[in-house]
Amino acid sequence: MKRMSVKLPIAVVLLASLVAGCGSQGSTGASPGGGNAPGGNGSGGNAGSVATGTKTLDMATNADPNFNPWSPTGFLESEPITELVFNGLTKWGLNYQPEPDLATDWSVSKDGLTWTFNLRKGVKWSDGQPFTSADVVYTFENIVLNKSLGANGASNYKDLQKVVATSDTQVQFILKKPWASLPTYLAYYTKILPKHIFNGQNPWKLTSFDKGQPIGTGPYKVTNYVSGQYVELQPNPDYYGSKPKIPKIIFHIIPDVNTQIAQLLSGNLEYVTIPDPALVAKLKSDPNIQVNAVMSNIWYWVALNLSEPRFQDVRVRQALEYAINRKAMIEGIMKGYGQEATGPIAPVQQHWYNGNVQQYSYDPQKAKELLKEAGYTPGPNGILQKNGQPFVINMPTGQYGVLTPASELVQQYWQAIGVKVNLNVMDWNSFIKQVVVNRKYDASLAWWSTPTDPDQYAYFASENAQTGYNIPGYKNPQLDKLFQDANAATSDAQRVQDYQQAQDIIAKQLPYLFLWWPKTIQATAKNLTIPNVGLVQAEDHVTDWTLN
Amino acid sequence: MVAFLLRRLGLGAITLLLVTVFTFFMMNLAPGGPSAIMNMQTTADQRAALTKELGLNHSVPVRYEMWLKDAITGNLGLSLDTQQPVTTLIGQRFPNTALLAAVTLAVTLLVGIPIGVLAAVRRGSAVDRLSIVMSTVGQAVPDFWLGIILMIAFSVALRILPASGMVTAGSAFSLPDLARHLVLPVVTLTVVMLPNIVRFTRSAMLDVLQLDYIRTARAKGIPMTWVYIRHALRNAWIPIVAVVGLIIPLLLGGSVVVESVFGWPGMGRLAVQAATDRDYNVVMGVTVFVGGIVILVNLLTDVVYSVLDPRIRHE
Repeated sequence: MKRMSVKLPIAVVLLASLVAGCGSQGSTGASPGGGNAPGGNGSGGNAGSVATGTKTLDMATNADPNFNPWSPTGFLESEPITELVFNGLTKWGLNYQPEPDLATDWSVSKDGLTWTFNLRKGVKWSDGQPFTSADVVYTFENIVLNKSLGANGASNYKDLQKVVATSDTQVQFILKKPWASLPTYLAYYTKILPKHIFNGQNPWKLTSFDKGQPIGTGPYKVTNYVSGQYVELQPNPDYYGSKPKIPKIIFHIIPDVNTQIAQLLSGNLEYVTIPDPALVAKLKSDPNIQVNAVMSNIWYWVALNLSEPRFQDVRVRQALEYAINRKAMIEGIMKGYGQEATGPIAPVQQHWYNGNVQQYSYDPQKAKELLKEAGYTPGPNGILQKNGQPFVINMPTGQYGVLTPASELVQQYWQAIGVKVNLNVMDWNSFIKQVVVNRKYDASLAWWSTPTDPDQYAYFASENAQTGYNIPGYKNPQLDKLFQDANAATSDAQRVQDYQQAQDIIAKQLPYLFLWWPKTIQATAKNLTIPNVGLVQAEDHVTDWTLN
Repeated sequence: MVAFLLRRLGLGAITLLLVTVFTFFMMNLAPGGPSAIMNMQTTADQRAALTKELGLNHSVPVRYEMWLKDAITGNLGLSLDTQQPVTTLIGQRFPNTALLAAVTLAVTLLVGIPIGVLAAVRRGSAVDRLSIVMSTVGQAVPDFWLGIILMIAFSVALRILPASGMVTAGSAFSLPDLARHLVLPVVTLTVVMLPNIVRFTRSAMLDVLQLDYIRTARAKGIPMTWVYIRHALRNAWIPIVAVVGLIIPLLLGGSVVVESVFGWPGMGRLAVQAATDRDYNVVMGVTVFVGGIVILVNLLTDVVYSVLDPRIRHE
């Protein structure tokens, strides 16, 4: 993920917003310099444009994008663009369920190991070439499953053995293990690339595509990209679906989120994702701006390093969870935009969610009792100790979003029950190196962002304990089996039951200390109408967007 | 003079080489690593594959040697992040930074020198006191804060100037459009740079005005204005040139903060992004490029000295 280059004190923005408050009432989208500026009345759609509207939609991204959706150097700054330019076999429904996209329908064999996808006929790439099963096979066989490339997100497909074309319009996915979530994952940043462009090329070095004019099957295509400045998209006349209503979308490359907000307030942008809830207050008072909070299934957590015997005692993990005042953290840090998490599956996934599990309300007294049971007694200067060893936790924290302030609060809550915490603030890449790569930490706070799918096995799997997504290194054969059974289940009811049980065990055992499910905050101009779901899900329905 | 130039160029090359050694080792020994590898969603075998793919599987000294061999031939390698040649990236960004720097420098000199001269000539007057207040404020105000305040005033509240970018996206290039985008970043940078010029001009002029030959000139009945410009300023130039020599590399390196705040697509932003992403090749490329400029500007400053002041001889 790309970070903002310069982090500016929030106080400045808050102060500034007070100043600005007096000037922003009731002005309509008159932009500096009048007609030809973004946010003004656009170019009226160029000749040959298939859109019905006339206005340009201006959005922001915080760094230069990479148009190759599998590139290991493309992150948050690229995804909102590639989502419009490419298609997957499936896409997100507004209910977060997979819907047909390049595939029209699919079925799975009895043993759960072979999935057959029928492809949409008559689809063209934006250069006019036909889309066929060869493109799907190429994308998976030559890029995703090609281990030497390290494609971004390829690890989601580690149980995929191969993809074969059974005809021009049909492909089969052959799995190593049953995987009921395959259609959901195919909607999750799994875009199909054109074989005729990439064949025989190193996909990361094809800059004419990755940094130039990408060829996709999606509703929009890139018509202009100026490094450091903007990316311009216009409807793809060859798109198979209904025609977009917005004739031009421009992503302005603005590294600083405060500048993005200023641009939104001045009518030069119509959409901004707000990374820091503290910035919302000002936007709410502007009559031309609408703030939407969308429930997400992202989960924030604290991982305790389970290679250390002291954290293998479940009472210690529960004590540390009881000691954290999550309600206060959500109010203070997230400004209320979040909900206390009970596990990895969120209420937004209502079909799978089990809210009837062990709860950990803020209870420092109970935390102390549990630690006493686990053999910890107050030592000199109030720090708990066991066998003469003081209870000290080293906690590296990365400078990203709310991670550092959240870690500081956790430090305070734990110190309040007699656990000493040494915080070590570092930049994001150093944090990843220390915590994720080297696993050198006692406790660390971060988040997982996953498809809205109950298959969260990767984050708990014993086999991922040392190197993969299982950061705390939790090992529980019973939980492994439940996740595997759920993936192999032949009936929906069976799957639901397996996940309900898995959530129950997770809540009791606390492989991670769960913090909250945040809401995603989107600020839009009032004249922009988009579905009230996460941005990339909404983009899968971009042809329904309107800008008046 | 030729011998002096050659000696200075040689010294410059050695300095630059030392800078590259220092930067390369510091950067590679710092914790973390390129963003492609340091990604939460990347597994251990992917990290191994990417390390190899990006050519980072050799030891740091070996990689430095490889980098240096290429760099001497003018090949600064590929960006780890975008796989584009580093020279291409610098070529895209440097002109934008140079434009911002040139306009800022021109405005700073055109405003700063007259104010400095006036403050010295009318020492203790309201003008002088105002210049001191201005300098103090200019030095104290953080540039990001000033940038945002200007943005709030002129873009958000008054809506008369664009808040970010270099041109209006998606419209044809026009000079007035570019000029409107220049206003806020130039004003911000000028306020930050101005105190140096004003203070140096003022003190240089004050020094000169106390000298005997000025009194002589006055006694001869030469008009005061003529004395100030023809006699005093000529000798006051030297310290002013020194300050300009210090400011130019600062500006050409790209103002990290101002470029980020105003979304100006220049070298400063490129450097910050590269440092954040540990894009080693881009960091090195920018270092060599900006380092080279600093060394050349220093040399040029010395040459201008000797032209301005025949008493200085480079023997």
